[in-house]
Amino acid sequence: MAASVDPLVVGRVIGDVVDMFVPAINMSVYYGSKHVSNGCDIKPSMAVNPPKVTISGHSDELYTLVMTDPDAPSPSEPSMREWVHWIVSDIPGGTNPTRGKDILSYVGPRPPVGIHRYILVLFQQQMPLGNMLEPPQNRANFNTRLFAAHLNLGLPVATVYFNAQKEPANKRR
Amino acid sequence: MALSMAMAVDATSCTSNRWSMASLRTALPSSSSSSTSAAATIRLPSSRCQCLQQCISLSRSRRQQQPVLTRSFTAINPLSSLGFSDNTTFGHAFPAVDNGSRFFAMRHGRRVPKLNRPPDQRRALLRGLTTQLLKHGRIKTTRARASAMRKYVDKMITLAKEGSLHKRRQALGFIYEKQIVHALFAEVPDRYGERNGGYTRIIRTLPRRGDNAPMAYIELV
Repeated sequence: MAASVDPLVVGRVIGDVVDMFVPAINMSVYYGSKHVSNGCDIKPSMAVNPPKVTISGHSDELYTLVMTDPDAPSPSEPSMREWVHWIVSDIPGGTNPTRGKDILSYVGPRPPVGIHRYILVLFQQQMPLGNMLEPPQNRANFNTRLFAAHLNLGLPVATVYFNAQKEPANKRR
Repeated sequence: MALSMAMAVDATSCTSNRWSMASLRTALPSSSSSSTSAAATIRLPSSRCQCLQQCISLSRSRRQQQPVLTRSFTAINPLSSLGFSDNTTFGHAFPAVDNGSRFFAMRHGRRVPKLNRPPDQRRALLRGLTTQLLKHGRIKTTRARASAMRKYVDKMITLAKEGSLHKRRQALGFIYEKQIVHALFAEVPDRYGERNGGYTRIIRTLPRRGDNAPMAYIELV
């Protein structure tokens, strides 16, 4: 039950996608000029291009970033939970994902029905993964926990999520 | 000396007030009001301004009022016997002044959220909101509307859990779209079979820009 105040627990990010963890790294995500805080609203038109992500941490540490949508295709019937949007690995600490290796290229949010949560999870790597990692065949039915267990990544070190919904076709006045 | 006498006078007046309330309470049938969970006391201030204090909204959901006094009045309430309360199907509704045209500053005993609308519009609004929530799974509205619709969403899911034809027709009479009712009756037993109540969750967010109305996401658990 959401007796805690943590936005990740309240938004059921912890529980649906990841397990309870202790944040160790600061991660700030910017779509254009808009800073992403937990649960904020981002329009899909603003999120077409990959965001600018800056992470703290030592430069000799490597990190993996995963972006998924646990509410695909609709939050009331998430049959394709989760749908993975972006996987980047081998990001050196203190930099951004452009320095890492793009395992799965970025696809912007396109929620067909309802309001979807989009979660960016950062894991710390024990060793450089590089060529070991092959992209998943399907973007749908991805499981972040299994992915982390498979690559021995352990618990995440940072997580942030935002909401997005389909924009109306006509421009809202 | 004068101080002690004044204090004694105060004490007697206080005790006389307390005595009358206590005697009134013991005279009336006592009810077990649902106690607010300990979550109500957890109030950690945080620098982030959204998605906070979910516990507050959850604990406020169980309205711990003093239902004692009002329950004793329902049987003899002339307005409800005349049939002025609108949605008799969904529990009792009290008009604003059921106490003989006396306005109170507090909210004691008021259980129906009016939503600033006449009863027919209110019912239509709630029907529309529950239809949309069942269709989309998560919607964003004002906090008052979100907390008002919980009751109706839970009712619809309970009807779907029972699953008989009569319940299905009752649901069809409330929800605006047929497909949604049929989809609901198909998937609710798997999805909410073990869960007893509490099928929604409200997450508060930033206020709306146009009128600074407090907003919230309401979603199906």
